[in-house]
Amino acid sequence: MSDDDFLRVADVSKWYGDEQVLEDVSFEMDRGDVTVLIGPSGSGKSTMLRCVNRLAEAQEGSILLDGEEVLSPDLDVDDLRREVGMVFQGFNLFAHLSARGNVALGPRRVLGLSDADAGERAEEQLDRVGLADQLDSYPAELSGGQKQRVGIARALAMEPKLMLFDEPTSALDPELIGEVLEVMHGLVDEGMTMLVVTHEMSFAREVADEVVFLDEGRVVERGPPDQLFERPDEERTGRFLERIASHD
Amino acid sequence: MASATRPTTVRERVAESDRSVGRLLLVAAGALFWGWLVVSWVNRWVGGVLVPVGQPLVPPGAVEATLAGVPGLAAYAADAAFVVELTPEFARGTWLTVVITAVSLGLGFVIAVPLAVTRVYGRVSAWVSLAYTELLRGTPLLAQLFVLYYGLNLASYVPGALSGVFARNVVWVAILGFTLNGAAYQAEYIRGALESVEEGQITAGRAIGLSKLETIYYVVLPQGLRYAIPSWTNEFVYLIKYSSLAAFITVPELYYRADQIASETFRYTLIFVLTGVMYLALVLTASKVMARVEGAVAIPGLGAERGE
Repeated sequence: MSDDDFLRVADVSKWYGDEQVLEDVSFEMDRGDVTVLIGPSGSGKSTMLRCVNRLAEAQEGSILLDGEEVLSPDLDVDDLRREVGMVFQGFNLFAHLSARGNVALGPRRVLGLSDADAGERAEEQLDRVGLADQLDSYPAELSGGQKQRVGIARALAMEPKLMLFDEPTSALDPELIGEVLEVMHGLVDEGMTMLVVTHEMSFAREVADEVVFLDEGRVVERGPPDQLFERPDEERTGRFLERIASHD
Repeated sequence: MASATRPTTVRERVAESDRSVGRLLLVAAGALFWGWLVVSWVNRWVGGVLVPVGQPLVPPGAVEATLAGVPGLAAYAADAAFVVELTPEFARGTWLTVVITAVSLGLGFVIAVPLAVTRVYGRVSAWVSLAYTELLRGTPLLAQLFVLYYGLNLASYVPGALSGVFARNVVWVAILGFTLNGAAYQAEYIRGALESVEEGQITAGRAIGLSKLETIYYVVLPQGLRYAIPSWTNEFVYLIKYSSLAAFITVPELYYRADQIASETFRYTLIFVLTGVMYLALVLTASKVMARVEGAVAIPGLGAERGE
């Protein structure tokens, strides 16, 4: 593989029982790229994202991450996941741990840092997402936007080489979306490689290197945001974008 | 002192003071009960320094004489003296009930957690766990005790290290029986709580690279065990009472001693009301303690009562 293919997804297919949810999905990313997956609900974009860190298992195809076959049965999925951070739509913060505890758990138990070092790293990462004043707050005491920023800090604390975002703002009240997008913009500026499933078209337009439009498990169209948003080749893409736009 | 605002109306103040009087009485009764129990035990332990072993802490004669001088209570003086005379026996029996319950509950918990975990997250082991739980919950506890004691004659196989801890080895057989049986019930309560932990918690644990077992240990159990406390307290309370079944395999715990005294004195009502009071004191203590524990480990921001 060539040096610029940091992530290469090739002909990935997946079935749930008889129902095919992904069909020959392919796209590539360079290191430092931001790729945004868009598509109607049920199009398979979240499933595609989860195949990259093996939270979902693709049955066919290949996913090469930094030259390694992600779908290999010999791969240690825990090793893979410590290098691939994930941010969830529903935050999924550990309910019994403070913000600091949430972020420190991975460094402590997965990376084997000492309590003190893991705590320090957690504080750094929470500071990075603007939550230095909420270290000891518990998830139930935080707003949705704050929760999601803790979720991002938790993923960042593992120092991942790729970040997956699964509709990170979909569960948020509109007025809280901005603070999360701001943090994500910051990561883009730092050169983080990000694969993002989102309905935030303005975000995609601003930061994506490539936008991939999925529908019914297939890649309908992909390209730079300017082209895909302004001059979509496919009629389906245009219809989807119109529908989304009318909701904004 | 849960109320954030001070009571304003007279009625509220009366209600508030009623509550504190009630609390005070309960605390006083509890202190009296546990003081009596512990002092009696210490006295036995050190070989009768306070009063000779087997003697009441207070002389029955003195109690009778005192009450006889109080108008209205004189009629009960003899009964009171009788009760005081029985206190050493009751103290011994109640203490053994406490020990059997506490040890069985603790050991049962150690078995119940893996049982519940395998039941929820295991594959083959889930079936093993299910079979164990259903077998132990589906057959009478007394039958289980009889199998262990009469059938397998386990009292004569108690290992040397454990032998001699209690006056009679049969106590270990009772503890084993209650441990095995209680574990099945505890596992059911814990299983229910584990299942109430959101799936997303596990996903998030796996996503940062924790293994399945690590995720269960660091993420699921700390939450599930907290959620289990209220229902688990039921098992605690039940165990205090059904530990009385140990009497049927000759363990000299509270019920056994009460039954013996009653059959010797024929004062069944008095003896068993008194026995009931002992169990009630233990049960109330258990639920108070567990309520404290629940409050102490509550996750901030979660739970019903929380001030601003």
